[in-house]
Amino acid sequence: MARVEDGTLLAGQGRFAADAAEGAHQVVFVRSTEPHADILGIDTAAARAMPGVLGVYTAADLGLDGARLPVLTTPNPAFAEATGFQMAEQRIPLLATERVHYVGQPIVVLIATDRYRAEDAAEAVTVSYRGRAPVTDAATALEAEPLYDHLADNEIARIGYSFGDPENAFGRAHRVVSGEYRIGRHGAVPLETRGAVARPDRRLRRVDLTTSTQIPHLVRNAVRTVTGWAEHEIVVHVPDVGGGFGTKANVYAEEIVLAVLARQTGFDLAWIEDRQEHLLSAAQGRDQVHRTRLAVDGQGRILAWGDEFLVDVGAGSLWVAGIVANTAVHALGPYRIPAVRMSGRAVLTTKTIVAQYRGAGRPEAAFALERTLDAAAAELGIGTARIREINLLTDTDLPYPRPIPYRDGEPIVYDGWDYRACLTKVRDLLPETERERLRAEHPGALLGYGLGCYLEATARGPYETARLRVLDDGAVELATGAAAAGQGHATVFGRVAATALGIPEDRVRYRPTDTERLPDGIGTFASRSAVVAGSAVHNGAMRLLDRARALAQEVLGGPVEYAGGVFRRGEAEIGLGGIAAHTRGDPTALDVTETYRPRTVTWTMGVHAAIVAVDRRSGMLSVLRYAVAHEGGNELDPEIVRGQILGGVAQGIGGSLFEEYGYAPSGQPLSTTFAAYHLPLSTDVPNVAVAHLHVDTPDNPIGARGAGESGTIAAYPAIAAAVDDALGGRIHCAATPLDPGLIHGALRKAAVLA
Amino acid sequence: MTEIPIEVMVNGTRFRRTVAGRLSLADFLREELRLTGTHLGCEHGVCGACSVLVDGRSVRACLMLAAQADGREVTTVEGLGAEARPLRECLARRHGLQCGFCTPGFLITATELLQDNESGKPLTEDGVREALSGNICRCTGYQGIVEAVLEVGNDTETRDDA
Repeated sequence: MARVEDGTLLAGQGRFAADAAEGAHQVVFVRSTEPHADILGIDTAAARAMPGVLGVYTAADLGLDGARLPVLTTPNPAFAEATGFQMAEQRIPLLATERVHYVGQPIVVLIATDRYRAEDAAEAVTVSYRGRAPVTDAATALEAEPLYDHLADNEIARIGYSFGDPENAFGRAHRVVSGEYRIGRHGAVPLETRGAVARPDRRLRRVDLTTSTQIPHLVRNAVRTVTGWAEHEIVVHVPDVGGGFGTKANVYAEEIVLAVLARQTGFDLAWIEDRQEHLLSAAQGRDQVHRTRLAVDGQGRILAWGDEFLVDVGAGSLWVAGIVANTAVHALGPYRIPAVRMSGRAVLTTKTIVAQYRGAGRPEAAFALERTLDAAAAELGIGTARIREINLLTDTDLPYPRPIPYRDGEPIVYDGWDYRACLTKVRDLLPETERERLRAEHPGALLGYGLGCYLEATARGPYETARLRVLDDGAVELATGAAAAGQGHATVFGRVAATALGIPEDRVRYRPTDTERLPDGIGTFASRSAVVAGSAVHNGAMRLLDRARALAQEVLGGPVEYAGGVFRRGEAEIGLGGIAAHTRGDPTALDVTETYRPRTVTWTMGVHAAIVAVDRRSGMLSVLRYAVAHEGGNELDPEIVRGQILGGVAQGIGGSLFEEYGYAPSGQPLSTTFAAYHLPLSTDVPNVAVAHLHVDTPDNPIGARGAGESGTIAAYPAIAAAVDDALGGRIHCAATPLDPGLIHGALRKAAVLA
Repeated sequence: MTEIPIEVMVNGTRFRRTVAGRLSLADFLREELRLTGTHLGCEHGVCGACSVLVDGRSVRACLMLAAQADGREVTTVEGLGAEARPLRECLARRHGLQCGFCTPGFLITATELLQDNESGKPLTEDGVREALSGNICRCTGYQGIVEAVLEVGNDTETRDDA
């Protein structure tokens, strides 16, 4: 079934940030060309004199000297206590003044009458630098001079916990396998770049900021933190957003600067990032190295698991607490693991800033654990499916508690049904025998089969909001704090509201999120929106109905029956619109703002299976078949859930095979065009078979579990395992993107031996 | 700066304008004519989001200058009419779009493919994937897009559903 959103978008009538820029002057940022340097001087005179230029500003010109980006997440104290989590203060300036820490860091902002003139002027701004040594590797950074003066070293966060008796288990195990696994730096790269339009209103003393974001309320809060403005002085609006995937679940210096600049100049201003800027300066992701140890008994049962990881967060990350904690929690996986030793550190380097990218620590953790399991299976001479069968949690284990709290401080209890069932199911969807069948069609390739399991905590709190209001014709206007970025919120939340209210779906009007209509909210990320915002919509609708019923009883003079938006008492009736008209004197009567607070997260588990072809001559890889079986909750819209899986898998394939932000030893970024940063194309992504195994969750009123990141998390290990298999175990893929050079080398070696 | 007079037919309407020599066709369509359905995803000719038809052939509007469109006929997503209706319906039904940012470009490329295919030879999945490989979608994994184009091109299922 078509989505509510589709008609407008298919007509070319979407309203994205750049489409809201009519009449606004154009803003361009002058960015650092150096990975690490002191700023000796900034000369803007030539640029100021250029035609069409309306102003050129440094941090000092805007009163933003010393202003910094506020951190977006801090850990729950109980979690920090139990896991030894610590983090240092980050000082990421809005506009750099004394020192730059990555190529692409904003230094100067300028305004011109059109984009062409603005870019001409940007080229005329001269920044003089004294270069410092770049640091592009996390391990090196730990030993290097501190990149920020207020820090003693470059470690910005750490975590460490253990349970069971891991050292005893490692000492006595039948086998201990160890490895080093690296997941390359890549990221969300939505097809629409970042962009924002700020329109000041002098009389109201407010700025309306339309920005392509997943987290409008956090953007508003950050503007307020920096400027000290009152809540009514900055209203953030979300336009149609052309994909986010995490990089737009970040607050950016550009957004805050644009709001300040609009207020100071009185101009309507638009900043629409170009692709090169995006690849240089929008927050990136992943970039982790894991050193692992796995102790198993003779049958392959896990006795102990150790993982020591490093996260390269570049010049900083407002989400460092989330990324480090996510990695350390999700590295526990969907298995029976009696003893664990986990430690991780996040490290500053002179690369672009980092945010959450679809999975945000989960794919990295899954890659480390799944690849190590495959190594153990090879060591024991049992299959990769077999070692998972032995260790996956089943209905006799679940619900399965873990002896550490989740990030919200609540005890971890996996609330699934039977994780082994997902393995069975995915092997039905894509049996290994399919590999043999495909061999005939691909005589020039070696074919391999790989599996990857994941477990993801979804629907994290602390809360999300929804507002429902009855309009005079009885339709219901709906908004949520979880802003839409292509996930079909209008369709899904509209359906939740319509179902709860018993009215047709076309009687719900979904309004894009803005911070005036809905003053509180959190945003769309971490596979949370369907569950957390959906529950807020559901509960809000039920509360709205209760209020309407009480009013209808007043009007109709006694108990009423309700169906399809109409209350009846005998022959008399009044609809939702009629009650709205009746209560015009009190506009709050049928206007509900609901906050839903989940008790804790709910867990979604799944297994991916892939068949990958390795070209015998070139080592080039192509993914021929793909399947995902997952244990999810009530699907509010099965096609949309499936779409999330399909799109997630495509991104996982991209990260496994091509996508990487490369950096030269000089610290210069190498991936600044779509020629250098290869996104997966229609010829790179196969059809994906998806099976949904329904497991209800009583924890939220709509019985849903999150799935937004499920498609991405296990793609990396499944594809790597398939390549191992294709080469008959002559290679153990331990780093993404998979290196065709290594694979080619293994092929040549095999050919020589043969 | 050189100003160049042009006369261009866009979506059936003739426009006479004077444009800067360096103005891209995409910016001309978006800024001058307010046809904002043509989206800019990379501005270096890779992503295909800005695809438009010029004299019936697909062109990346970020790589063509407005001045080069002088005397030519341009069709943007806003100008696709009845011929694109089945495609639009199938894309919606098969969830061939999520955020919708790349969708106008896919509509243009697929429309060209379907027009070229009037030979009556059935489209193959590989052929459709190849033809669409100059357009990037970051949300859907392409499956619904490919299915929609195959369905329209080969006229499968459409009739069953009617």
